[in-house]
Amino acid sequence: MDTLARELKRGSAELLILALLNEQERHGYDLARLIGERSRGAINFHVASLYPTLYRMEDKGVIDGRWVEKAGQRRRRYYRLTPVGRKALKNHRSVWENFFEGLHLVAGIKHA
Amino acid sequence: MPNWRHDISRRLEAAGHVVDIDIVEELAHHAATEYEAARAEGLATDAATERIDALIAAWVADGGRLRHRRRLPVTVLETSPATGSAASGVRRDVRYALRLVRRKPGPALVAALTMALGVGATTVLFSVTWGVLMRPLPWLDADRLIRLAETRQGATRQMPHIMTNGSYLAWQNSPSTISGLAAYRSRTVTSTGAGEPQRIQITMTTASLFPLMQAVPQRGALFSKADEANGKVVVLSHGLWQRQFGGRIDVVGQVAHFDGEAYTIAGVMQPDFAFPERDTQAWVPYMIRPTATPDGGSWIQVFAAIARLNPGATPAQAAQEATARARSAPDPGMATMAVFGTKGASDVRAQPVLEALTSDVREALIVLLAAVGLLLVTATGNIASVQLARAATRRREFAVRAALGAGGGRLARQVLVESLIVGIAGGIAGLGIAALLHRLLPAVLPADFPRVDDIAIDWRVAAFSFAVTLSASLAFGLAPALQAGRLNLASDLKEDAGATGNRFGRSRTAMMRAVIMASQVALACVLLVGASLLIRTFVALLNADRGYDASNVLTAVLATPDGLFTAERRAQLVTETLARLRARPDVASAGVSNAVPLVPGEALMAFTLPPRPGESDPIAVQTAVRVVSPGYFDAMGIAIVEGRAFDARDTATARPVLIVNRAFARKYLPADPVGRRIPANLYERPDWEIAGIVDDILMRPRLTEPVQPELYLAYPQAPDGLGREPIFAVRADRDAERLVDVLRDTIRTQDPAATLESVMTMEDRVMGSLARPRLYATVLAGFSAFALAIAGVGLFGMLSYGVTQRSKELGVRTALGAQPRDIVRLVVGEGVLITVVGTVAGLAIALGLSTWLSAFLYGVAARDALTFTAVPGVLLLVATVASFVPARRASRMDPLSVLKGA
Repeated sequence: MDTLARELKRGSAELLILALLNEQERHGYDLARLIGERSRGAINFHVASLYPTLYRMEDKGVIDGRWVEKAGQRRRRYYRLTPVGRKALKNHRSVWENFFEGLHLVAGIKHA
Repeated sequence: MPNWRHDISRRLEAAGHVVDIDIVEELAHHAATEYEAARAEGLATDAATERIDALIAAWVADGGRLRHRRRLPVTVLETSPATGSAASGVRRDVRYALRLVRRKPGPALVAALTMALGVGATTVLFSVTWGVLMRPLPWLDADRLIRLAETRQGATRQMPHIMTNGSYLAWQNSPSTISGLAAYRSRTVTSTGAGEPQRIQITMTTASLFPLMQAVPQRGALFSKADEANGKVVVLSHGLWQRQFGGRIDVVGQVAHFDGEAYTIAGVMQPDFAFPERDTQAWVPYMIRPTATPDGGSWIQVFAAIARLNPGATPAQAAQEATARARSAPDPGMATMAVFGTKGASDVRAQPVLEALTSDVREALIVLLAAVGLLLVTATGNIASVQLARAATRRREFAVRAALGAGGGRLARQVLVESLIVGIAGGIAGLGIAALLHRLLPAVLPADFPRVDDIAIDWRVAAFSFAVTLSASLAFGLAPALQAGRLNLASDLKEDAGATGNRFGRSRTAMMRAVIMASQVALACVLLVGASLLIRTFVALLNADRGYDASNVLTAVLATPDGLFTAERRAQLVTETLARLRARPDVASAGVSNAVPLVPGEALMAFTLPPRPGESDPIAVQTAVRVVSPGYFDAMGIAIVEGRAFDARDTATARPVLIVNRAFARKYLPADPVGRRIPANLYERPDWEIAGIVDDILMRPRLTEPVQPELYLAYPQAPDGLGREPIFAVRADRDAERLVDVLRDTIRTQDPAATLESVMTMEDRVMGSLARPRLYATVLAGFSAFALAIAGVGLFGMLSYGVTQRSKELGVRTALGAQPRDIVRLVVGEGVLITVVGTVAGLAIALGLSTWLSAFLYGVAARDALTFTAVPGVLLLVATVASFVPARRASRMDPLSVLKGA
């Protein structure tokens, strides 16, 4: 069960990040905050693993990070979706769609 | 807030993770934001820090996954919409404005050029004013240095900035308002030694000058008070040391020869010390002697004096103390009379050195600065007028943009940005023009203009220029910008924007432009009146009757220093030279004198004559003494009014005779004095006879100074001879310039040690003495010509624009039967009307201001009738010409095509 939960979490983390970046460019803190907020705390994404996840996703080429400096602010790293990431998001979505479908059919779990 | 970056990097390293600083930075940013959020939630600093600590601990635990990663460059993002709209909007405006300029560069170029000329002229005048009047002098605490000027109550002659020995010595001892007092006097000497003899300027000075000016020698020592009595030591300037002594380091203790006398070199001055003048080459001791001489006579010494004020003391307090001391000093009697023409009580004035140095040019510079200010206003007005017209023709463009959502402020900003671009381009070009004009300044400014070296374009001048540019650009951009911001969409979107008007049948733009135009005419009128008065002054000065005839006369100073020439040798040289010159067919007459008009130098004498009949007081005579040779009056063209000139009869052994000028005769002598003995003991002889009376002549540059009494002696009979520097005056049959080489050769072949200096025709001397009035007249004439051109072009532009805008109205008039003549009259009439209004205003202002100019005027009244009638005439002429072209175009318009709305 622990292994399943971890795998689920890891898989969902990527989906969440991709989905949030699909809306607009965001920096790390913003991502962490939004995941917490949007899931109303249900998904307690461990912040400590956010950055390793981001870097791994970047290495895979699904997201792209760049440093941006604005007048009067310290520089921040913004992430955005790459075309590969956009495809990956679509893929993830259908996989999870199917997964929920299955869960619903089998265990009576409905997704929102 | 704790330094997370440092903390994170330390803890990751401690755990053995190699992490790049980009990652640390990103984590630190996260930590900081998280910390702020925790604080915002209401957590105490400790609790918040604890939360972050836990977060970092988790990162560190997961540190293996924070691998090293390629570094990415920083991107500077365009500022976010919330803070950056103004900046990016302006950038858009700039791009838009540049596009407009590219599409139609003519008006922008003309505006920028007008601006460039205005800013250029203003910058040059400001740099001169700043450099001359305001830039601090190069000495330490220079604002505490004062120049002293002594005079006597009721003095007949103004001798600016002199002091006498009695007053100096009385003040020198324990003064309370000053910490130091120094006397000095410059003279030109012949420096001999290695190479050709050179004429150089040296300054005799009391040793007190050096501590007062805080001068430090570069080499050797400066002289002290003990050296003043003996006086044969010298401090060389750095320049003279380099030039004449080859910069040798063993120069101290060697000997320099000035006028044949040996001076031991005590030291060399620092290169940057130049006092009192830039040309001062050496300093020798100067002793101020008591007024009472050992033989029971009295002695007056005249020199320049400078003092350093004690902290807190004012020049007025110093003057008060000096005056009190001077009045307590022993009176040197007749000698005072000779200098001041009176024995009245002493008055000492004190003036800050900077003020004393620049007092003759201060007022003129201020007047010219004011004039250039008017010019700049005119130029600015011109651009404002053009911009207004442009803004008006673009009303539809603005209306469309406003309809599409641009606010009034947005459009106003657009117009302002356009003006600023034109203005700044003009300002930069103006600074360039100023830099060019600066190169001409040394040639343009009169030789005796003070502080020419201190005039430069430095950061202050550049800053001034920039400020002027900016404020002018804002000024000429403001009216059109306000207008652009105040749109009436309904009327402006209508087809014919030009038809909108008020009850005068003119749009607001046209009214504004007419007002600006009239003001420009008014300012041009003021400048023209000023220039005309100064030009008339210059012409009057040029043609003034100076009492001598300056044409075809060559003059030259023969330097024969006492150490190198005996009185006999000098007399021999002069006599022989005159004889050789007179023998030439191209020399009409030749003479020599100890004083010639416009050559500095003066010999004065005072004595008493018996009381006039019926009076008891003897007549106190103060007079200039001129020692001249026969032929001098002829050569200078000075008229003999009565009696005779000197001639060969007047030898040393003959009966001594005098010639006086009219002023002397009028002031001191009874009627018909010629042929009578003068009842006075002059030079220990009682038998001087008055041989003649000559015309009054103006010796000094300033023609308004009253003519001084003069007494002429024939040089063989003058006890003191011609002095060290006799001056030749040679009248040629034509073109005196040709005699320059003749005169030089005549001297050189007789005595190579004698040097000729200041070899100039009398006409050149007169011209040189008028250098300042000429400069002022030229500058003001230039300004007014520029202002006139601006007014003419402006009027032309305004009327042309008006004709285009009113084409429909004019078409209707023509269609209704108006003849071309009527249309011309209509347009020209408008130009003339504006000009008349402007001229009347301008004349009123000029009348008010002209009294301000009166100090500069000569031979012309401040309210000169000719000027005040000619200037309006010129303005009207220019206005008519400028109006005629647009008027003709208006009269030739085809009413059909105009009315069809082509």
